[in-house]
Amino acid sequence: VEIYLPIAEQSMNVFVLLGLGGAAGLLAGMFGVGGGFLATPLLIFVGIPPAVAVASQANQVVSNSISSLQVQWRRGNVDLRMGLVLLLGGMIGSSAGVSLFTYLKRIGQIDFVIAVLYVVMLSTIGVLMLVESARTYIRRRRNPEAPRGKLHTHYLVHRLPLKLRFYKSKLYISALLPITIGFAIGILSAILGVGGGFVLVPAMIYILGMPTAVVIGTSNFQILFVAANVTFLQAATNGTVDVVLALLLILGGVVGAPIGSRLAAKLPGVVLRGLMSVLILVVAAELLTELLRTPSSFYSLGTREVPP
Amino acid sequence: MRLAPLLCLAVAAVVLALPAAAQGPRVEPPAGSMFGPPFGPTVGPTVDPSVPPSVPGRVETPELIVDFSVPRVSITSAFQGASILLFGMFDPPGEIVVVVAGPPARETVLRKQRFLGLWLNTGRQSFDDVPAYYYIAASAPLQRLLARSAGGEILSLEDRLASVRSVGQRDHDELIKFRVGLVEVKRREELYPAAIGQVTIQAGRLFRVELPFPSRLPEGVYEVRTYLLREGKIVAAVSRPLPVGKVGFSAQLAGWATNEGPLYGLGAIVMALLVGWLGGAIMRRV
Repeated sequence: VEIYLPIAEQSMNVFVLLGLGGAAGLLAGMFGVGGGFLATPLLIFVGIPPAVAVASQANQVVSNSISSLQVQWRRGNVDLRMGLVLLLGGMIGSSAGVSLFTYLKRIGQIDFVIAVLYVVMLSTIGVLMLVESARTYIRRRRNPEAPRGKLHTHYLVHRLPLKLRFYKSKLYISALLPITIGFAIGILSAILGVGGGFVLVPAMIYILGMPTAVVIGTSNFQILFVAANVTFLQAATNGTVDVVLALLLILGGVVGAPIGSRLAAKLPGVVLRGLMSVLILVVAAELLTELLRTPSSFYSLGTREVPP
Repeated sequence: MRLAPLLCLAVAAVVLALPAAAQGPRVEPPAGSMFGPPFGPTVGPTVDPSVPPSVPGRVETPELIVDFSVPRVSITSAFQGASILLFGMFDPPGEIVVVVAGPPARETVLRKQRFLGLWLNTGRQSFDDVPAYYYIAASAPLQRLLARSAGGEILSLEDRLASVRSVGQRDHDELIKFRVGLVEVKRREELYPAAIGQVTIQAGRLFRVELPFPSRLPEGVYEVRTYLLREGKIVAAVSRPLPVGKVGFSAQLAGWATNEGPLYGLGAIVMALLVGWLGGAIMRRV
């Protein structure tokens, strides 16, 4: 069944879009990340203009995060103070990101920037996660009784000013650090149409040293508001949010997410992280080949400007 | 909505009856008033004033009536492209050529080049007055029809694009490459169909042709010109507008998105929150 997408201005198979949303939801349920990093490149791959794909995907992330946040909030897994500090950076970052997006679109480089950013982000995160989970896996096999190390290591960032106590995260660190991270994620969110969970979650664990239990809930909290901000700004400045497209992705995601979380409950964390890193690397490799392969056509069209 | 063909016939009948009815000094109907402007929203056929009568003197222009199967191309939620039937009648003998041109706009052609091993857009060139869509159909091979002096009025795609204005200064050879690139992309999007359509003539004076429109169709008023050719000369021409636009739900949404951006954005967020919240709550119960 085909449906006409009024903002993307083309028709598309309903089941392809539901399936894409379902796959993103499955990832969201399994790994606690939005799945946008997978859905956005796939949307572009099936022919949705990148500007519309990114903006509509941000809309989908809003729905995805509220679903997960519902659960995490009830379980008390949200560090509200940390969330708000991250959000401060996130709001500034995403607003700047939308302006940057508009500029890149005007000079005709947005597709390239999206692809390159994806390749860099995904391959870095993928390799880091793969190495980490492989190391953990090997260590556990060798010595299942290994004592746990320190809660987190102390280094330069703990000496920055503006220190705040984050009780839930058991941290006493400078607020500048989460603000910077939030800012960077905000920019990513605006340009790539992702929640940024796949960057935010590792950053919270490895850079901030937050306990894993509150990471997912807190990142969901920050992502919800950043994605809403991106959706609003994209709609207001670029008019590229396609609600029909977003609704189909959301409906797919609503079905996919619980399946994912049920799967996740059956698999150990190390295996999950290993699986996810492989998936991330596959997407990165595919995008990289796209950039390296001689294109079938050297020409494309920018925005059509109708004279007044 | 099926009134259009009837109206055409009625208008045509009036046109034919006029010279006979007028007993006194003959007054030529001023082009553009009675017949309406060629781009106006008039329902009946319009005689193109830019086409000179083929034979000088007081010889009537041969009859040429054109209509569409639908008055407009409606982009609904189920739109997957459309095939519009153009049909009509003419005074034999002759051949029919139909030219469909989408609304003109500025198009920017981007060219990819390898840079440090990566393919990225390095060149860009804008052209003004590029038709969104271009399609030609003819009842006989176009080369043969246009062998004589009809060229100049009926433009092949190549001729039409030769007249688009490039924005800014650029080397001639480069411009040609970008123009070729423009056609390449438009071909891929099925907006400049490569093949010349076949106009079929029935009973010597009825003709029909299907106009193919792809799903990714720019909105606007398309101009459909129909020519009657005799011995390579245009003896009659009719220009009719064919509006292409979103209707119903699609039109509503697109309208809000362009005119009420911030409100539309808030609506999109509320929709996502509601569906996400409810969907999440329901799915956890299942």
